[in-house]
Amino acid sequence: MTLLDAQTLSRLQGVKLRARAVMEGVLSGLHKSPHQGQSVEFAEHKEYAPGDELRHLDWKAYGKFDKYYIKRFEHETNLRSVMVVDASASMGYRSGVLSKLEVSTILAGALCYLLVRQQDAAGLAVMVGDAFKDVPPRASAGHLNVLLDALEHIQAQGTTNLAGAADHLAEVLPRRSTVIVLSDLLDERQDALKRILALRQRKNDVVLFHVVDPAELTFPFDDPTLFLDMEGDSRIEVNPREIKESYLEEFGAFLASVKSACAEADVDYELVRTDERLDEVLLRFLGRRGRRR
Amino acid sequence: MIFGNPWMLVGALGALIPLLVHLFDRRRPRPHPFPPMAFVLRSQKRTASRLKLKRLLLYALRTLILLAIPVALARPELRKDAQAAAVAKGPAATALVLDASLSMRWGKDSSLFERGRDEARDALKDLQADEPSTVLVCTSTPAAPPPPGFDRARLRAIIDEAKPTYGTADLSRCMEMAARALEENPTPGKRLVLISDMTASAFRLEAPPPTVKDPTGKLVRPEVVLRDVVSGQEALPNHALVDMKIESALQAGPRAFQFTFTVKNHGPEALKDLEAAVRVGESTLAKGFVDVPANGTAQKTLTVRFPQGGTVEGAVTLAPDELPEDDQRAFVLPVPRALKALVVNGAPHATRYRDEAFFVEAALSAPGSPVEVAVRDTDAGLRENFSAYDLVLLLNVSPPSPEDAERLASFVDAGGGLFVSMGDRVDPDAYNKRLGTLLPRALRLVRTSVEREDPEAETKSAKLAQVEVEHPLFSPFTGRAEEGLVGARFYRYMLLEADSPAAAGTSQVLATYEDGAPAVAVARRGKGRVALFTSTVDRDWSDFAIRTSFLPLMQRFAAYLTGSLEERVEQRVRVGETVTLRPEGGQAIAAVRAPDGTELPVKAQQDGSLVAGPVVEPGLHAVLGAEGKPLQALDFPVTLDPAESDLTRVPTDTLTAYFGEETVKASSSDAERPKVPLWTWLIVAACAAFFLEGTLLRK
Repeated sequence: MTLLDAQTLSRLQGVKLRARAVMEGVLSGLHKSPHQGQSVEFAEHKEYAPGDELRHLDWKAYGKFDKYYIKRFEHETNLRSVMVVDASASMGYRSGVLSKLEVSTILAGALCYLLVRQQDAAGLAVMVGDAFKDVPPRASAGHLNVLLDALEHIQAQGTTNLAGAADHLAEVLPRRSTVIVLSDLLDERQDALKRILALRQRKNDVVLFHVVDPAELTFPFDDPTLFLDMEGDSRIEVNPREIKESYLEEFGAFLASVKSACAEADVDYELVRTDERLDEVLLRFLGRRGRRR
Repeated sequence: MIFGNPWMLVGALGALIPLLVHLFDRRRPRPHPFPPMAFVLRSQKRTASRLKLKRLLLYALRTLILLAIPVALARPELRKDAQAAAVAKGPAATALVLDASLSMRWGKDSSLFERGRDEARDALKDLQADEPSTVLVCTSTPAAPPPPGFDRARLRAIIDEAKPTYGTADLSRCMEMAARALEENPTPGKRLVLISDMTASAFRLEAPPPTVKDPTGKLVRPEVVLRDVVSGQEALPNHALVDMKIESALQAGPRAFQFTFTVKNHGPEALKDLEAAVRVGESTLAKGFVDVPANGTAQKTLTVRFPQGGTVEGAVTLAPDELPEDDQRAFVLPVPRALKALVVNGAPHATRYRDEAFFVEAALSAPGSPVEVAVRDTDAGLRENFSAYDLVLLLNVSPPSPEDAERLASFVDAGGGLFVSMGDRVDPDAYNKRLGTLLPRALRLVRTSVEREDPEAETKSAKLAQVEVEHPLFSPFTGRAEEGLVGARFYRYMLLEADSPAAAGTSQVLATYEDGAPAVAVARRGKGRVALFTSTVDRDWSDFAIRTSFLPLMQRFAAYLTGSLEERVEQRVRVGETVTLRPEGGQAIAAVRAPDGTELPVKAQQDGSLVAGPVVEPGLHAVLGAEGKPLQALDFPVTLDPAESDLTRVPTDTLTAYFGEETVKASSSDAERPKVPLWTWLIVAACAAFFLEGTLLRK
């Protein structure tokens, strides 16, 4: 599986190739896909208990065994998913070979592959400052190319506006959609994260991929450095060794607060380091989703 | 505060390095776009005050490290103001007593006396404006100090001009003199400040401590301030050459001498392979090594053979220590020169051992003897030109003709030596007639104690009874060596007339027989000397010629009669003493010059001698005759008092008890100083700062 490390992915040109490579890595890592798409297949019998829907009673089994059994199926509904990709300037930061935005687009592309392959509808919403580029969700195979093309041309620019994205999605998305947000969440506005998480209250399934660079996690600077804000004009000259401890405390608290808020809002949270293998990120995510169901 | 290595303080400029680095060596920060800028800003804001404090602390610690190390290397010591305690008591008339004894010369780079002068200046500076003061420089002959006054400049000049001496100093006496000087002053308080190395030899602790009269006439003890110039040392190690003896070493050659000297080690450490040498001018004639136990003595002997005769001036030296003055001693040594002797054989014989001159020639020509012998018979001998010889020996010679007698007298008068021995050819009357003025005493007649062939000759023969062993001629014949002299048997000898009253004292009898008759008589005639041996120098009248004492005695006769044998007693002069000089033959002494070139005061005495001194410096003192001509034979070495080489110090407790515990108010003695010098604390501070700096950097 070494093909899928960040170095290898960086050598592949375009989101299509990268997303496909990740998706194939994911598929080969699954022994049996639990996502069977629309084809409703019998999975098992379960003894009837009060409250179970009567329409799923297996009358043939009743005739044979004189007992009530309920039929259970692998999938019951079609998925309608929207990838929300943060394309603010801060997402363009990289300390290694892949920027946060590149990682986000690869992950989004790989997920689109998986969804379309299962004949679920996949859409895209790209946050570029206060503006949004939408690709409505569809389940056709031809739609995949549209999605991947859109991902291919995303440029990091502007400021992060999570609250604006939340408002926009609330308007355009029907209820019970799956919203997959890929962002670094570096939005200083007070209720930005809350507004995203509030999508869950609208019966949407919300998944948050928190993309961070290793340098943001470890602050590996030694020499006196002039730090420049990527989304504003502020700058500061500091000796990194002197503030490292304090920075790591602050950033650790931020990650903890995000994770805690997601848990409270029943939102799936996945911390993604840009130097991680992305197939493993997806397998980890899918495995957890499977256990939840 | 004083510094042992003050030049090290230059390194303290290094303390400016952190400031200079801060001002001029600021590195340009690398710009770096970073997304979580808000966290960086918050962290910086949160840590700003702490960082500022940390930076300040780091700066202070680094400055402390760079400052403490050079200051520590400068070896600072904190000196308490000795007078501070006394200020509260009111003004006191103060006398500073500065020890200027030899022991204050101790020290390699700077002497104790230099430190003492600094202490004296400090003590003067510490005085209050209303305290009259005086200074006494304590030497072996201290001058009374000027009355206490307020002219500090004059006192400073006295201190600046003071020099350490080579003699002892009686500090007890000096303190007493200083106390007397304070007595006249009306200021009620009296204070004595003693600046010394506190060596035991300088104090007479059995004498009462100094006292002064108070206004009521009652004797009270003045306040005493002890300023010890020996900082941090309980004892001052020193080795010294305390004694030296020079003896001829005939076994090593005609002009060989043994230098036997005693080395005393006054230190607690044993000395190993201490170099000792005999030097003349720049050349080293002999060198050896000596081991001296701690606080013990050792003797060393070096043998030197001088290539030629004459007066030799040199020094015996030891490897120098902190007090080099007592590591050497000068000497003046008369080395016998080569002598030519004419032996006039009055009774030659074909058989060598029966020849009159056989034994004398053998003795004078023995290996190691400086004498070159020419033997002639009577006729040939008396025709010789005597002035070509240093010594003429008339052995049983028939009375010389009046002309020959006249020539002999002239020879002696001009400085020649004449030895006359008896025998059957000597006619007393003719001798008296022709050589009467030359001989020490007139001859009378021959006396026979016993015939040689007599069976009882052994017991009846005469023997030497009284010998002047104090005289240089007989000085070696003491102890066992005397047996060879007094064991000789004399069967026949010439009796001499008594000294005539007119010429009393001109001759000297150095040995007599048992009956009191003279055996050896000597006399000075003009510049020369004459010796008369009243028996024979062969075996006709005695068996002395075959005795062990015969050979050395004949050689000493030769040396004595030619003036080569040191007759005068070695001058043993110590610093501080006077020396009596006895010029010979009407020599005039113009000056006596010390090693440093200064001239000693010389005073003529009634007996013709001169008294020079007192001498103030050790080493060789030169005596100059008329027109500045050196009179080497009168030169004399001056030595130090060995007691002053012992630098054992009096414990402070003892001194405090001696002067009175209630009067010794402030002492700068070692005992009252902190055990740990200031510089060790600085090193500790630097180490602590280094550790803290490292800890702060890691945080």
